[in-house]
Amino acid sequence: MGLIHNSRIKSPWIMHFDNSSCNGCDIEVLACLTPLYDVERFGIVNMGNPKHADVLLITGPVNRRTARVLRNLYDQVPGPKMVIAVGTCASTGGVFHNCYNVLGGVDKVVPVDVYIPGCSVRPEAIIDGVVLALQKLASANL
Amino acid sequence: MENIIQITKNDIVNEGKKLLDAGAKFVTAVCNDLDEKLEVTYFFSANRGVDLTCLRYTVGKDEEVPSLTGTTLSTLLIENEMKELFGLKVKDLAIDYGGHLMLAHDSPTTPMLKPKKAEAESKGEI
Amino acid sequence: MATRTTVPFGPQHPVLPEPVQLRITYEDEKVVEVVPVIGYGQRGIEKACELNEYNKNIYLCERVCGICSYQHSESVVLATEQLWPLDIPPRTKFLRTIWAEMARTHSHLLWLGLFADAFGYESMFLQFWRIREKVLDILEQTAGHRVIQSVNVVGGVRRDIDEAQKKTVIDTLNVVRRESDDLVNVLINDYTVKSRTVGVGVMTKAQAMALGCVGPTLRGSGVSEDARLTKYSAYGELNYEPIVETAGDCYARMKVRARELFQAIDLQMEALSKLPEGEIAIKVKGGPPANETVARTEAPRGELYYYAKGNGTRHLERMKIRTPTFANLPAVLILLPGCQLADVPVNIHSLDPCISCTER
Ligand code: SF4
Repeated sequence: MGLIHNSRIKSPWIMHFDNSSCNGCDIEVLACLTPLYDVERFGIVNMGNPKHADVLLITGPVNRRTARVLRNLYDQVPGPKMVIAVGTCASTGGVFHNCYNVLGGVDKVVPVDVYIPGCSVRPEAIIDGVVLALQKLASANL
Repeated sequence: MENIIQITKNDIVNEGKKLLDAGAKFVTAVCNDLDEKLEVTYFFSANRGVDLTCLRYTVGKDEEVPSLTGTTLSTLLIENEMKELFGLKVKDLAIDYGGHLMLAHDSPTTPMLKPKKAEAESKGEI
Repeated sequence: MATRTTVPFGPQHPVLPEPVQLRITYEDEKVVEVVPVIGYGQRGIEKACELNEYNKNIYLCERVCGICSYQHSESVVLATEQLWPLDIPPRTKFLRTIWAEMARTHSHLLWLGLFADAFGYESMFLQFWRIREKVLDILEQTAGHRVIQSVNVVGGVRRDIDEAQKKTVIDTLNVVRRESDDLVNVLINDYTVKSRTVGVGVMTKAQAMALGCVGPTLRGSGVSEDARLTKYSAYGELNYEPIVETAGDCYARMKVRARELFQAIDLQMEALSKLPEGEIAIKVKGGPPANETVARTEAPRGELYYYAKGNGTRHLERMKIRTPTFANLPAVLILLPGCQLADVPVNIHSLDPCISCTER
């Protein structure tokens, strides 16, 4: 339980990746950062670089082309890392389940820690999901 | 739909150019699978986008068809898309994505084609 | 000799939340070549539209794009209704128009924010998004959800706007208008914004027509074209004339959207004041007959074309979706070459790209 571990829980850095979502969840993820929901007051910062991130927020179902990109990004995030599947289609494939180019949920490619259902998810639910992930991170024996 | 002009595949470039020169704008193209053949429809809009004109031709599935990209770049993406999703053999594309504009290497090929009626019947799917 | 470097822009990039890759070749700081690589958002919705029953397509097509999702659902129901064709009650038409303009208001606010962010005005981005939340609130109150409304069905709409809601909508819109007025003033008159956008990414009228651009991108280049001129839904009964700017640069495209924001508010007010009484939906039996049709609506990003072909069953024979960004994307081929590295995000954002639309 060192300093780094504590600060990770207190101020997780997030990276958002859009697989092939419909944008519905993406704009809600962005909305979380804006004044009404303002997750920055919890120390959550949105990052563009996977190497800086602790938490990976993934929206949208995995398709055949993004599968490789997602795998790549996941490998670049330094551990311990949390993966959150935001939205129904990121969790299971959802409404796109019968599309030919869709592999299914994010968990087909990388391990997922928290699933947030909803289509599109509400910003409140995203914040709840991140808190759940942080609890998991805090209780992990690192 | 009104204003459908039936043409042959070799006329598409000339007819398309005529419309474009008259001030029309290319809108999109639609490919339909008619079991044995493919039906391709090019849409053009004119008069502030209100009027639509369609040029339509029908070709066999293994015939080559000319591309409009020599005349206008606006058809670039859609012709590549038809080539990929329907297997329409468009030749002389300005930029040929080689079947990977939309689809990845392990995606199904020509996914938009319907199962052949005769085959589907023999399998008892209809 | 200047060195050439090719840099991949995306598919995961802080400027664009969406997966698209632009392979940009620079000569020193100048862009010389660009190849868009798409396909990261390809799902295969058009095929799935044939596999689903026609009334389930609404929920699928709404999720082609989450930002203009309302216009997608409107187009898909318009296309399906035109196959019969069905006679839609006037109140429904007005309600659809009101929600369409509400969706445009939220989309343009979203875009103005993202655009401000593209040249580094982060607090302005946050301010626009703060205002946008108010629009989302009235959308949620009247249509049922913030982002994906699912309010349209074939034959009508599922919700009505009552008197109390009408009042809230009008009050909120007034607040939105007042607050965005302040911000838009800054955006339009600010010296720094002008120096980043005026004369950047110029597209002439002829180029825009030749590339088949649509929506604000086209209107920013001086072409007065808009699908709302076809008078679908209730636009025939409203006082509508497209907004046009002639300069064709990023500043002009921004101005078109900023002015359309206020126009959308005006259109909502007008439609609310003219809202006729009556039914909001009709009963529909059976599947659409064998027929083909095109539905055209004006999404925030431009003209949306749905081509539908029925075959008499409850499944459609073919559904083709031509989204605005699909038409606007070739414009990067002429906007980017020649511009500076730092102007790339501004140029790309000025087209308002929506990638998940493009690839469906
Ligand atoms: S869960 Fe729904 S709203 Fe979210 S990205 Fe998927 S389809 Fe869009």
